[in-house]
Formats: sequence, structure tokens, C-alpha cells
Amino acid sequence: MPRLTFIASQGTSRTVDARIGDSAMQTALAHGIDGITAECGGAMACATCHVHVADEWADRVGPAEDTEADMLEFAASTVTAASRLSCQITMTEELDGLVLHLPDTQI
Amino acid sequence: MPLAPVNDAVTITELIDNPYPFYRQMRANSPVVSVRAVNRVMLTKAADTRAVKDDPETWSSDDPDTPMKRAFHAHTLMRKDGEEHLRERNAMMPTFSPRNLKTLWGPAYENLAGEYLDRLPKGEVVDLFPTLAGPLAARILADILGLSEASDDNMQFWSQALIDGAGNFGWFDEPFERVDRAHLAMDALMERKAEYYRANPDQTALSVMVNADDPIAWSQIVANIKIAIGGGINEPRDALLTVLYGLLTNPDQLDEIKRTGQWGSAFEEAIRWVAPIQVSSRRATRDTQIRGIDIPKGTVVMTCQASSNHDEDLFEDGHLFNAFRARNPHQSFGSGPHHCMGTHLARMMLGKIMLPMIFDRFPNMELVQPETVVWKGFGFRGPLNLPVRLN
Repeated sequence: MPRLTFIASQGTSRTVDARIGDSAMQTALAHGIDGITAECGGAMACATCHVHVADEWADRVGPAEDTEADMLEFAASTVTAASRLSCQITMTEELDGLVLHLPDTQI
Repeated sequence: MPLAPVNDAVTITELIDNPYPFYRQMRANSPVVSVRAVNRVMLTKAADTRAVKDDPETWSSDDPDTPMKRAFHAHTLMRKDGEEHLRERNAMMPTFSPRNLKTLWGPAYENLAGEYLDRLPKGEVVDLFPTLAGPLAARILADILGLSEASDDNMQFWSQALIDGAGNFGWFDEPFERVDRAHLAMDALMERKAEYYRANPDQTALSVMVNADDPIAWSQIVANIKIAIGGGINEPRDALLTVLYGLLTNPDQLDEIKRTGQWGSAFEEAIRWVAPIQVSSRRATRDTQIRGIDIPKGTVVMTCQASSNHDEDLFEDGHLFNAFRARNPHQSFGSGPHHCMGTHLARMMLGKIMLPMIFDRFPNMELVQPETVVWKGFGFRGPLNLPVRLN
């Protein structure tokens, strides 16, 4: 089971087990991670599961695709090159150890 | 496992006047409950309403026995699932792209909001429902949909006719006859405008759908513009009246927000406090359970987001307006594949533009006799009047 670490904007961190095939957003909701709202439930219709991928994971996770990048313009917190919608990151063995930073707000 | 317990005590009139006491009681004692007055199994807890909407395979949006199809002369995207729904939703989606919101609809709304505020008389009592909230919501929607020739009154009449027809569970004649008249006018305008947009394409919803590379059927273009008319006026209208009421009756919060500029939080709190769309429905596609209650295949459940938004598991003193909640995971825009397409538009129009503008123009606006404000609605809910003095 890949492990996934969420680091909140205040610096507190939580590491949880992810099911392969689940999105990072689903993993966050399953473990009650504050800081992921995921209003649309993964339909890519909102921007409330916004995360910043840790630098050392950027290559393996890859950048946002076009539609996702458009939707990220709605994000409530600062969007950077490391920004992704966590509903679009699918957990695999290769992502074991992934670190995602949570923005200070999603709405 | 048992079936949902039956409640035959609550009446539809009670639910329309104020459903919140009933919801509080149900959340505490009987959160999954079959309610005779609406002939549906109500879900009143936040975790349940959310789980249902996030699982479209178990919970179909196609509720076959509603008057909606009769009222709309079609099955709209609201009642479709999967690929079929997505294709129709995506057809309209480009209109609501972040770029269009920022470069077209935001500036358009800002101009209109300024114009409508200019018309309001200062120093005397004015009801903001018919003078601002209703017509402004109608105007911007007409312009975004590509029906700018429709007057504010036309739009509001059509919208109400569609709503009344879709909610005509008594299957009376009058609402259907009224909506049939509205269809004649809407269809004529849309046909005329479609022809125009084929030659003069722009980013309005009608134009984008007509000029798509692989357009959806004309019958569905028309039906989905109508769902936007039916759903796109009362929500921003009721949200605006609700947030103004919340702020004007909580002057300490209003003062703090004037200082910090957290208008977006006030907007979110208003739609949590009194969700403009209070309930939705979903049909079980297989036998399933919720909280140990059997839900046989074919059961239509009503997800009561109005109740979820006051759920004690998530909100302290949910019955109070508090724009400074640390967390506000309300469900007023729904969730899952049918998540409200107007979410970002609404946040921008009301939270970013209207609220700062109206309190900048009228910093000493006061609510006149708050006790005369009438709240009504079970499916949709908001104030029916908002008498203020603008200063």
C-alpha cells in the first residue's frame, strides 16, 4: 500500500495508507484530512481539492492537464507550477511516499 | 434489516413554512425517514447526502415519476447519468470557463450591478426582492445564455413557470398550461437567436452549443437552456437576499467584514445557513442500505442538503448565521457529477462583486422591520421580501 503524506499550511503533517487506484483526494477524504474539501467529489468541476506537490515528487506526478489547469484558476489559494487537483492524482506503487502540501484555504 | 420508519405527522405546509425544526428532530432520532407528505425517503445527515451524490452508480439522477419531464417537454441533463449527462454538461461548459468568467461575465455583471444599484431610491423603504435581486439575476443570466432580448420580466416569468411546473406534484392543470405558454415564447426566441449565432458566434451558452463541432441534439440544447433558466435565477436571487439579511441582522459581523473584506465567507455562510436549493432526489439502482436501513432498488430518496448544512456532526449552532466559521463544508452546490455548474459564477458575482459594491454604495443600509421578512420554501427557499432603507 502506498503511503501518502499531507502537510497542512501550519506545518502539521499526517501520513496515511492509500489504496492503489484511489485518487489522492479520495485518500484524504477516507482519512478525514482537513484541508481537502472536494466539493464536486472528483468530477473536476470545482477547485477545492487543490494541493501543491512537493518539489522532489514533481516529475513523477507530472503537471496538470489543460482542463485541470483551467479549473485551477478557480482555486482560492495561490496557484504555482506545483499546483494540482488531488482528484486527478491516481495513487500507484510508484507514488509510495508522495508528499502533498495543503493550501491554507480551499474556498 | 428494517425499512425506513414512516413519518406521517409532518405536513407539506409545515415543511414549506420552516423545515428546520423537523430536520433537527429527524437528525437526532430518525435520520433516514420515509416522509408521507412528500412520498420520499429523506436523508438528513451530511455524511449520507454527500455519499449518495458521490456514488452515481448506486444513485441515479433519473427520477422517472416527477412532473419535471412534463413541465420541461423533455428530459434535461439534471435527470441523466454517466456519459449521456457528461456530454450534455460539457456542451455548455465552455461558456462557464474560468477565462470567460474573468474576461466576459465578471465585467458584465459588474456593469449591470452598478446600473441596477443606481436605480434604487435613497432614503426611502425599498424591497430588494423585486427591485434588485430578482431582475439582476434574470438580466445576467439572459446575457450569459445568449438570450439578451428577453426582458427581466420575461426571464422571471419563464423561470417561475418552469419551477412551478417541475414541482407540480399534484399534477394540476394550471401550472402545466402556464409553462406551455412559456415554452412557446422561449422556443421562438431560441430559434431566432440560434440562427443569429450561427453567423455571429460568441461565448454565450446558446452560441457555444449551436456551434460545437459535434453538437448535441437541438431538442437537448433547448431543454438545457431551459434548465438554466429554471435554475439560474432563484438561486442567486435568494442567496443575495439571504446574505444581506444575515449581515444586516448581525451588525457586528458586518462591521468586521467591512474591515477585513471577507465577503466570500459571508456568501458561503448564507448559502449554508439557508440553502437556496434545499433538497434533491436520487433513485436507488440496486438494493442497498443506509445507517442500517434497507433501501430497496427503485426507492427515490430525497437528499436534504438543507439539513446536512445544519448537521451537528459538522456545525456548531448551525441555526445561527456566523460568517467566521473555521470550516464550512456545506453542500449547497451539491457534489459529484451534477455539482452546480454556476458555482464559480455565483461566488464571483455575489462574493467578489455585489457584496463589496452594495455596502460601499450604501454603507448605512438598514433592514426595516426585520420581523416582516417572510421566509418560504421546501424545495427552494429564501426570503420573499427584504425591506431596507438605503443610506
